[in-house]
Amino acid sequence: MNAAIAPLQNGDTVLLPERIGELTGLSEFGIAGELIAAFLGAFIVANLMLAMTGVAGPWAKRKITAAFTDRIAVNHIGPGGILIIVADAVRLLSKENIIPENADRPAYDLAPIVIAGSALLGFAVIPMGSGIHLADPEVGLAFVFAVAGIASIGLVMAGYASGNKYSMLGGLRAVAQNIAYEIPLVVTGMSVVLFAGSLRMSEIVAVQNETTLFTIPGLEWAVPAWFALVNPFAFVLFLIANFAEVGRNPFDMPEAPAELIAGYQTEYSSVYFVLVYLGEFLHIFLGGAIIATIFLGGPAGPGPAELGIVWFLLKIWAVFLLTQWLRSAVPRVRIDQLIEIGWKGLLVLSFANLALTAAIVGLIA
Amino acid sequence: MSTGAEADVEADADLVHDELEGVIGDRALARDDHVNAPGFVVNPDDVQDVLVDLRDEAGYDHCSCVTAQQYDDRFETIYHLKKYADPTDEVSIVVPTSLSEPVSQSAEPVYRTADWHEREAYDLVGIEYEGHPDLRRILLPETWQGHPLSADYDQEKPQIVTLSEHANPLEPDHRDPESDTMFLNVGPHHPATHGVLHVKTVLDGETIADLEPDIGYLHRCEEQMCQQGTYRHQIMPYPDRWDYVSSGLLNEWAYARAIEDLADIEVPEYAQVIRTLGAELCRIASHMLALGTFALDVYGEFTATFMYTFRDREIVQDLLEDLTGQRMMFNYFRVGGVAWDLPEPREEFFEQARDFLDELPAKVAEYNDLITTNEIFQTRCIDTGVLEPDVAKDYGCTGPVARGSGVDYDLRRDDPYGYYESLEWDVVTRDGCDNYARVLCRMEEVEESAKIVEQCLDLLEDWPEDDREIQANVPRTLKPDADAETYRAVEAAKGELGIYIRSDGTDKPARFKIRSPCFSNLSALAEMSEGEYIPDLIASLGSLDIVLGEVDR
Repeated sequence: MNAAIAPLQNGDTVLLPERIGELTGLSEFGIAGELIAAFLGAFIVANLMLAMTGVAGPWAKRKITAAFTDRIAVNHIGPGGILIIVADAVRLLSKENIIPENADRPAYDLAPIVIAGSALLGFAVIPMGSGIHLADPEVGLAFVFAVAGIASIGLVMAGYASGNKYSMLGGLRAVAQNIAYEIPLVVTGMSVVLFAGSLRMSEIVAVQNETTLFTIPGLEWAVPAWFALVNPFAFVLFLIANFAEVGRNPFDMPEAPAELIAGYQTEYSSVYFVLVYLGEFLHIFLGGAIIATIFLGGPAGPGPAELGIVWFLLKIWAVFLLTQWLRSAVPRVRIDQLIEIGWKGLLVLSFANLALTAAIVGLIA
Repeated sequence: MSTGAEADVEADADLVHDELEGVIGDRALARDDHVNAPGFVVNPDDVQDVLVDLRDEAGYDHCSCVTAQQYDDRFETIYHLKKYADPTDEVSIVVPTSLSEPVSQSAEPVYRTADWHEREAYDLVGIEYEGHPDLRRILLPETWQGHPLSADYDQEKPQIVTLSEHANPLEPDHRDPESDTMFLNVGPHHPATHGVLHVKTVLDGETIADLEPDIGYLHRCEEQMCQQGTYRHQIMPYPDRWDYVSSGLLNEWAYARAIEDLADIEVPEYAQVIRTLGAELCRIASHMLALGTFALDVYGEFTATFMYTFRDREIVQDLLEDLTGQRMMFNYFRVGGVAWDLPEPREEFFEQARDFLDELPAKVAEYNDLITTNEIFQTRCIDTGVLEPDVAKDYGCTGPVARGSGVDYDLRRDDPYGYYESLEWDVVTRDGCDNYARVLCRMEEVEESAKIVEQCLDLLEDWPEDDREIQANVPRTLKPDADAETYRAVEAAKGELGIYIRSDGTDKPARFKIRSPCFSNLSALAEMSEGEYIPDLIASLGSLDIVLGEVDR
């Protein structure tokens, strides 16, 4: 089985559920066994992501923002304040779940689950290295865009069902924003597909790491053809569209605390709030995971292939750090300006990028 | 210094009076001169006529304040008029009305700013204004019984306005199936209202179709409390509680100036320099806070800008604490001087202050890098919240709000007091008329204030040790002449902060009226925001830099 640990071979990777099946002997029980193995795999990946959000939300985010804004942040409980995670979890989960009188149920109850769930679903097709890869369908990239897009429905549900005008405005902004930015996002993603020649995530990763862009003379370092290096223009476009997609500065209009209190999440409290909040962080991480996979060579990095997951998480956190940096330093644009940037700027640029990429790929081929 | 100025005023006075008498003519029933300005008594039916002539012919374009009060035999409304070009050229129009039927013509058609001022007069004193477009209570709840500053009001009777007994201000149902608009309550609890402010907005999509600020949530009867305190000691602590975000000394100066004028007290020069120093430190702290909170409104919560401005403001706060012993409620000025001299050892205080001044340019450069040169910030702020100069004047806007609209009006220069006249500094104006201009205006004013502070430090350092007189000789009980009236204003952080005092010969004022700059500035919000988007409304509100403690008093 050891040979299968390096998952960077040409698409013929052994997926996590199969490995669990074989390691635990569950695969001998036919479809039922495979199903249980799949659930176990999903459980592991989901918990990994949730744990990351747990660290990010109450602790890392505060520490990072504090560093940017010349503060100290949490430092009382545990070393470096890390146990604030426990305190916050207890605090949030033990609070009364207040449901507004005018809430439209069950949409109100479903929205947090949709928001958090859609992001978790996306991680199913992401190759995270060290053999952590749940599924590798033919249409991997399309799948991940599709499920990430479901979150918009969750936002509208939350905004509409809360029975609060601020939530309503936040929900409407979220839709307008997501429509305006999902198209450039997907179109830019397609330029990567043109290079890779496949929508399959593992192949996109493999293509990036198999080819060498150039070798640094003297050091004998082969620089892999990560798409961020091959096509930096697409990388920047994708990054920007991604900030709008996850609703972070300068595009955090759906929440815009100074204007809309907290937008669609105004009325959520206790467990529901935790879910919405988790969902937001999961979306930032999913955005980071997509960027890492299609632009930064996925789990690839120096050292043995077993370190794949470490490199992968590092890349996700780098994207997370960037969102926090922008949040601290950049003002938000106005909703009409945002729509303008989306439709008149990014959309045009992303199609130009696609045409350019197609031409280059055609020439090389 | 002040005797010279008074002599000048008297020399000019006759000329001005003749001209005024010519404009007002026989509509002037009598003269009722105040300490600060000539006063003319006019008939309640002639108010608009007289004001229009004064505005258009004599050039009194600034209705600074409207004071209402009750005497034993009459109600009285006083319009304190000034010129933006020369605020020392003042005139008071006194409008008496009978006790039984206190109805007077409204000045609102002449000066838009009279709208809110007259509502306040109606609310607190009970004078009705004919022709006022919207004469409702402004500070007290709609259901309040009686007018608290009128003579027949029972001060002892408690009035508890509970939500169950009286109307909830947020309760009315604004749903209208015919309409395409949405009613939205911004506040009273909202992250961007900088206090307890309720803005009733009507939205068409995200565009503001109609807007009305609802104030009074922080009304603490400051005027009445001042009327119940003695001039000498008991009033001075109150001004700290109007604009409570580190503008305390500026507010204290407003009262100090009014009472010193009324009781003819001369403040020693040394004390004036200390006052100037303290006041400008307050202005720096206040403008830093304004910049930081404006960044909150445009950036999002707890951004770098907000924390940076607070970090730098903290140094000023430390200096003020060393000087006054307090961080917010300074209570440092005294009638005729200040409470105590600079803290010992003086060298240490000077060194700290100079360190701050040395570091300031680098910090201002950092703010410019981080905020004003940011392109997103510029797209958000340029050409939003537009306030044309004429509109600003009409609404009685002052301070950085007026100066951001190109109105060159600063009482420190135009109506000098303290030590400003002898110092080198400039009045900052900007022609942008938008949110961006107001922000830049404040940032540049911080630099100008730093210049003033530096000169004050030089003066104080070289001041001969045997001449450090911090307090004039003021009688223990201060009783200005009966029926002496004055209206005096200083340039506070937010604009013209004026105090009207009428003495009845006792040791407490018979009427104490506060002209708050935030009150007048806020009244222009609707004009600035209608037709713009919600984010622009929030930004405009932030750029007005209101403090609700001062709006509601």
